[in-house]
Amino acid sequence: MIEIRNVSKSLKKGWYALRDIDISINKGEFVFLTGPTGSGKSTLLRLIYMDIFPDKGEVAVVGFLSSTIKKHEIPFLRRRIGIIFQDFKLLQDKTVYENVAFALEVTGGSGRKMREKVMKALTLVGISHKRNEFPYRISGGEQQKAAIARALVREPFILLADEPTGNIDTEASMDIIKILQEINTSGTAVLMATHDVYLARKMGGRVIRLDEGRMVEW
Amino acid sequence: MFIIREALIGLYRNGIMTLIAISIMFFSLFLFGLFLVGTFNLFGIIKVAREKVEINAFLREALQDGARDELIRKIETMVGVKSVEYVSKEQALEEFKREIPNATSLIEALKTNPLPPSFKIKLKDAFTSPDKVEEVASKLNIFSEIETVEYGETWIERLDQVVRVLFVFDVLLGIVISFASVFVVSNTIRLTVLARRQTIEVMKLVGATERTVQAPFILAGMIEGGIAGAISAGLLYLIYRLITIFFVKYYFPTIPIFIGMFVFGLILGFIGSKASVKSTSMEVSFATSYI
Repeated sequence: MIEIRNVSKSLKKGWYALRDIDISINKGEFVFLTGPTGSGKSTLLRLIYMDIFPDKGEVAVVGFLSSTIKKHEIPFLRRRIGIIFQDFKLLQDKTVYENVAFALEVTGGSGRKMREKVMKALTLVGISHKRNEFPYRISGGEQQKAAIARALVREPFILLADEPTGNIDTEASMDIIKILQEINTSGTAVLMATHDVYLARKMGGRVIRLDEGRMVEW
Repeated sequence: MFIIREALIGLYRNGIMTLIAISIMFFSLFLFGLFLVGTFNLFGIIKVAREKVEINAFLREALQDGARDELIRKIETMVGVKSVEYVSKEQALEEFKREIPNATSLIEALKTNPLPPSFKIKLKDAFTSPDKVEEVASKLNIFSEIETVEYGETWIERLDQVVRVLFVFDVLLGIVISFASVFVVSNTIRLTVLARRQTIEVMKLVGATERTVQAPFILAGMIEGGIAGAISAGLLYLIYRLITIFFVKYYFPTIPIFIGMFVFGLILGFIGSKASVKSTSMEVSFATSYI
């Protein structure tokens, strides 16, 4: 489903953010991507959703190859992936509901079917009661839940989570991880980047550890 | 539908930025409108001056009606001639008295009318340049009935020089104003687009195509441009009415101005927003401070 083959990526001249990475992620897996800050976790995720491309090697995501994908095909790849970030990336001038609906509207979604999908996603993450609130009026944990709902509303095959608990308190973090596990149980693969190796170990499941751009555990 | 709604929501929810953008576009377009009105009036004046260009062909002697009409027909078929008017000896004398009243006694002392009959020949607009006038004038010399041909060479040449200078100046001013407007408006719209950079980021994140990302911004830019164009045309019209009431009358092509300003506003909005959203969209990357 996701194949990262012998990938190296340099972000600055002569300095590699990732070196010789080989990872394969299968359908429905829950994978933690850990390592200290600056170890290359975000770079690896960006390679998967093709915001950047490898200098060496190849990334294959559900049939899209980093070596052959055309610029206009990237949106179609992104529609199959859900992505959440540490800073949520919610639009402050839209309500929670509108933020989630936005993901469907940009690809032509509308009407009752869309409303049902949005409500389903909001219910799944437990914030349907906050649907008419603006992001700045709700807590960090709730904002991340809204971001998860937006990522899920398209029913992606994988959810990429880049430090999803980085900006929220411990209690809310556990809540987020629980939601991610539930999502995984229902069949969606999850790749979660976190600098917290202990958290990853505690949760169980597959752990890939990066250090200075190299894989030290997989 | 999504594109229209998103454009309107963007304009409404970023109200202050929208107002700033419309105001700046309004000033640019107003300046452009003043230039347009100036140009229309300038060319109006030139047209009137050109209409005054005429050739006087003095006849050797008064002609019989038949011969005269025949000659008029011949001259009228010449290239560049718009109209031919016969001025009899008597009419010439009347005109002379009217134009130079002080010389009336002098003429009366002569007892006979010394003024020859003539043709006043008006030329088509395209034939009012010095060389064309000269060309027509020299052709008139072919007719034996015509003794001399006069056409105020110096005046026509001066008019031609003035028209050339004014035309070059007008074109240059037009180019400068247009570029300045495009530059100012592009940068203003760029600010409004940058203010909504996160919207572009999220659109790309959730898989919007480049066209879907750009369309609402382009539409919003065109709406801003159209509004600014209409307001500046309205203000220009108001100023025109006030000036014509209290001061001089000048030419104000209402419909061309309104359409011109509105269309120029739309074009400015389109160019400005297209360039801004494209470059912003290219710059958007999900790079975070961490690696």
